Amino acid sequence: MSAPTLPSRPRPDGSVPPSRFLLRKPTRPLGADPLPVKGGLGTSYDTAWARRYPVRLARAMLLDDVTRPLLRAGCAPTVFGLDHLDPLELPVILAANHSSHLDTALLLSCLPTRIRHHTVVAAAADYFFDRRLKATAWAFVLGAIPMERTKVNRRSADLAAGLIEEGWSLVIFPEGGRTPDGWGQEFKGGAAYLAKRCLVPVVPVHIRGTRAIIAKGSSTLRPGPTEVRFGDPLWPETDEDARRFAARIERAVALLADEAETDWWSARRRAAAGTTPPFRGPQASPWRRSWGLPPSADPTPRRVPSTAEPDESSAPRRWRPKRSPTSWPQRTAD
Amino acid sequence: MSPRPGFVLEVDRSTPQTLFWRGEGFGLERLPAGSRVLYGPEPLAALRDPDAAIRHALDHPLGDSAPLRSLLHAGMKLTIAFDDISLPLPPMKSPDVRQRVIEAVLDLAAEAGVDDVVLIAALALHRRMTDDELRHALGTRVFDAFAPHGLLVQHDAEDPANLVDLGQTDEGEDVELNKRAVESDLLVYVNINLVAMDGGHKSVATGLASYKSLKHHHNVRTMRASKSFMDRHHSQLHTSNWRMGKLIAEAGVKIFQIETTLNTDTFPPEMRFLQRREWEWTARDRASFFATSKALERTPPELARRIFHSVKAPHDLTSVQAGEVDAVHDRTLENVFRQQIVPVEGQTDILTMGLPYICPYNVNSIMNPILVACLGLGYFFNLYRGRPLVREGGVVIMSHPTPWAFNPVHHPSYIDFFEQVLSETTDMLEVESKYETAFATDPWYIHLYRTSYAYHGVHPFYMWYWCAHALEHVSKVIIVGGDRAAVRRLGFSPASTLADALEMASDVVGRDPSITHLHTPPLLLADVQ
Amino acid sequence: MKALVFERNLPRFAAARLASVVAGSGHGVGVGPLELLEVDPPSLPAPGWVRLEPRLAGICGSDLATLDGRSSRYFEHLVSFPFVPGHEIVGDVKGGRLDGRRAVLEPVLGCEARGIDPPCPACAGGHKGACERIAFGSLAPGLQTGYCADTGGGWSAGLVAHESQLHEVPEALSDEAAVMVEPTACAVHAACSTEPPSGASVVVLGAGTLGLCTIAALRHFCLPGTLVAAAKHPTQRQLAADLGADQVVEPGEVVRAARRLSGTLALVSDAGRIERLAGGVDIVYDCVGSPESLEQSLAIAHPGGDIVLVGMPGVTRVDLAPLWQREVRLRGAYAYGAEARPEGTRSTFELAFELVASARLERLVSAAYPLERYEEAVAHAAAAGRRGSVKIVFDLRRKSRSRTPSEEAE
Repeated sequence: MSAPTLPSRPRPDGSVPPSRFLLRKPTRPLGADPLPVKGGLGTSYDTAWARRYPVRLARAMLLDDVTRPLLRAGCAPTVFGLDHLDPLELPVILAANHSSHLDTALLLSCLPTRIRHHTVVAAAADYFFDRRLKATAWAFVLGAIPMERTKVNRRSADLAAGLIEEGWSLVIFPEGGRTPDGWGQEFKGGAAYLAKRCLVPVVPVHIRGTRAIIAKGSSTLRPGPTEVRFGDPLWPETDEDARRFAARIERAVALLADEAETDWWSARRRAAAGTTPPFRGPQASPWRRSWGLPPSADPTPRRVPSTAEPDESSAPRRWRPKRSPTSWPQRTAD
Repeated sequence: MSPRPGFVLEVDRSTPQTLFWRGEGFGLERLPAGSRVLYGPEPLAALRDPDAAIRHALDHPLGDSAPLRSLLHAGMKLTIAFDDISLPLPPMKSPDVRQRVIEAVLDLAAEAGVDDVVLIAALALHRRMTDDELRHALGTRVFDAFAPHGLLVQHDAEDPANLVDLGQTDEGEDVELNKRAVESDLLVYVNINLVAMDGGHKSVATGLASYKSLKHHHNVRTMRASKSFMDRHHSQLHTSNWRMGKLIAEAGVKIFQIETTLNTDTFPPEMRFLQRREWEWTARDRASFFATSKALERTPPELARRIFHSVKAPHDLTSVQAGEVDAVHDRTLENVFRQQIVPVEGQTDILTMGLPYICPYNVNSIMNPILVACLGLGYFFNLYRGRPLVREGGVVIMSHPTPWAFNPVHHPSYIDFFEQVLSETTDMLEVESKYETAFATDPWYIHLYRTSYAYHGVHPFYMWYWCAHALEHVSKVIIVGGDRAAVRRLGFSPASTLADALEMASDVVGRDPSITHLHTPPLLLADVQ
Repeated sequence: MKALVFERNLPRFAAARLASVVAGSGHGVGVGPLELLEVDPPSLPAPGWVRLEPRLAGICGSDLATLDGRSSRYFEHLVSFPFVPGHEIVGDVKGGRLDGRRAVLEPVLGCEARGIDPPCPACAGGHKGACERIAFGSLAPGLQTGYCADTGGGWSAGLVAHESQLHEVPEALSDEAAVMVEPTACAVHAACSTEPPSGASVVVLGAGTLGLCTIAALRHFCLPGTLVAAAKHPTQRQLAADLGADQVVEPGEVVRAARRLSGTLALVSDAGRIERLAGGVDIVYDCVGSPESLEQSLAIAHPGGDIVLVGMPGVTRVDLAPLWQREVRLRGAYAYGAEARPEGTRSTFELAFELVASARLERLVSAAYPLERYEEAVAHAAAAGRRGSVKIVFDLRRKSRSRTPSEEAE
């Protein structure tokens, strides 16, 4: 039999030859009604398929065998405070500061196994779920669920609460987006609300050093060291509203940030005295806010080599972690 | 071992061949016995702790000025202007001097709580700098803190909304400057005084000015009366700028001038032979020379250009002073002379020079024939104090491939100048009177200057005027190894070899002329008695 | 009599095409369908026709295109084989009202020559070039003498011509000046029919015979503002300047020169090259007819401006988007007829005679060859610019030998 030929000659009766019909998407006759479009985008995107066992398995393999080694090589993370997580019963809500696209992957990689493989990540519905392909990708790779970030949305709140009640831990960034200038932004009430509603603890997390690797708006990648700190879990109080609880979570993350820059004891004393450096940075003009960034949040920290040293600052940074890789995950005594 | 001063070598039979630059390449030439070769002083030692020196200078200003710290207070309008891509040459290795100085100034500003700060590249009618060039000059920390917020600007001399007229000097010279700079509470200028021409009142009066101001001293008459423009006391260019500086001060513009000088450590270690005296070349130097010149012969010109322009010089700070313009500049000049002066006895019949690949106006770009003329007859010819190195009516011989090539992004008006103006006449005054205004006001060149990376439409004229003193002084200019059509278009004589050039010169200066060769770069300043 | 005859022979046509591509223009003659033959002189087709014995016959760009096999297939129906090429002719008339005198031939075969009565509207108005009966009548098809089987052509010892085609040559005018009249008439027609408004900015692309004559015609009959000419070779540049161009530039510099002339802004590629002007010049005369020259014309004509194709183009692939967006008028200028002048309608040839005399266009005749050395002559004509020449002619005078008159300064 000869191979099918295409395109074909026009037929006298104008009909489409069978080979053509099967190879192309059929056209709908005018008299017929269209089928309803299935699946929404944004907050109505259905991520349930990503929590089925085979998909979870694939995601776990990707995270453990691909993402973790890569991050270990490029970001050389050091993890502090895992002992805060050990006694906790699942599920928990993990609330972290957000400065880079790397944060989620890094945080997931640093979680202990029992949490890591049973976590969903709240991701901005307008950014990660605006197109079908993106939504599918992030739901698979990170276990992301859409979260509305500009206004209160019943659907995403209900979804998150439902999942927590089923036993899924939730990673959420209360700032709502990555920091534009290196200083923190006001914590929104989502994590606090969910914790109150589902009566689960909120573990504050501080991630340091990811902004120097890849910042918001940047397209260049500069490998460097990172640190992930887990803090004391916070339980919601009965007479505390979501907003005040959110502020409390913010203070906890600010404390962890202070601890990262100095040490645990000085941070504690400052917290007690109320003199923890503000999470949201100084009230000043943009250039002065940039000028005052701590080096770990500054993509290009100031280094002035002496004239005796051979000049390194103009040489491109090589793909090499600054510290020797340690065993994974690192447990450091506080 | 302390650096040796410059000196004048008398060529004899034991003298090895002399290095001659030829654009993106170099060669060895044998100069006749009896010729003189001017070698610059060896590079002075750089300051051990430049940052400390800068902080010291800011706290201990010269002249009638308070320390910078006390001039800064919250709520003030601060503007920091800095020299553009034309300096230093070749571009410095990181960190650039401007980065060091501006970071020190900004530290003080941050301490004082100054919010309204703007950085301006004082480029007058030069081209705008690219982001990479700004990053290199200022450092990424300053760039990232200011550029995203629009606080790092490049002076736009064709933006009427951003210029302010300060009136006229006693001689009727208009002074029109950048508005932000004039209306600030304090204008800090960060300068690199590479040669004696730079700095002083010229920094602000030229760097932040518009065409209306510049045409009063960037013209044929002024350049002919600047003998030389490296010597500000005998330079009409500087006298005019000083008058403008006085007017600017009287208008109430408060300037805190920070001037720096560099040593002449011009080439990185692998190219050290370019800096050394030929008879002191070690075996490694000779091998480097041989390998480099052979490799360059086989390299296509575009690649050779890119290689050379990526060379960053190791030159570093030898002095930094800050405060009142006049006091600062006098001290700066002392330091420049300390590094560059070479005493020379008497003038010569023929002056030879090898032209390197770079001049202030082709950084990261092509050196077109007009810039070749400007570098040789403008800058190198005028590297003197007292009297020119070559006698009146003498001959200048330069060596450069002078390709008929132009960078259409950086130098669009140069192409038209070369094609249209020079093909009609090379006479300076005719060029000035017939064509300058048309080019200076052409909306296309203005558009490219403001939005692209092009030199202003009038800039090729300035390059031509820079040769005015030389062309009035000498009687013949010969270019060795240059593209014949291009050299002819410039009005000079092409020669294939140095020997031919000397032969051609003998028509003018006789059979047995005295020859002096200017062995530069590295930079030097001849003090001719 | 001896004549160069162009036969219909497809294989040789193709061979000529190949040879001209491989070896360069003008080198296809050796293998092409052109042959030097001994033939009978053509017979007089009808009353009103006389014999003409050529003294000088020019080689034109359209002849070269035909010999190279490059001419457009458009002309297939307007040509009859075998024909003798050559339409730029000054010769001795034998018979009729100009018997014994010299005349220049106006080669277009209009209604009158074809014996068609009443003439078509174009011929009635004197615009013989636009004749609507060009392939009909009592003659074989042929748009001009030199493409028609019945008339013969200039590259021979004799041809026939209708009385209406002959223009008497004044005694004072040399043969060289007379042979320039026909090409000059093309240029005059181009200039007068598309008369640029007074003070307009004009660019003339190409400085071969047609380009130089166009420059002269524009200067003489019109009042252009600034006239910029693009010329590739030094001889051409010198002549262009002498004949009235204000500025002469190399072809690569035309866009920049046009920008300076019109003082406009431009659209630039990333590498800094000017792609096209935002404004432009008023009128461009394309005397080259290549795809590159047409693109250049579209790049520099200002919106609403004119591009006049003076030289014969071939099949060209060009992006017409600029033509559409800028409402540019692209028009052809072919041959001659009658021109509307302030003093009244005058025949183009009359104006051409005037121009040839006043601008001394005989200096454009650079070399003359006998018919026997036709291969050299055609090769020289094809490379004329490069070799410092402009117009090459065949010398058919009895006692002549090939001579190369003095050329203009290199």
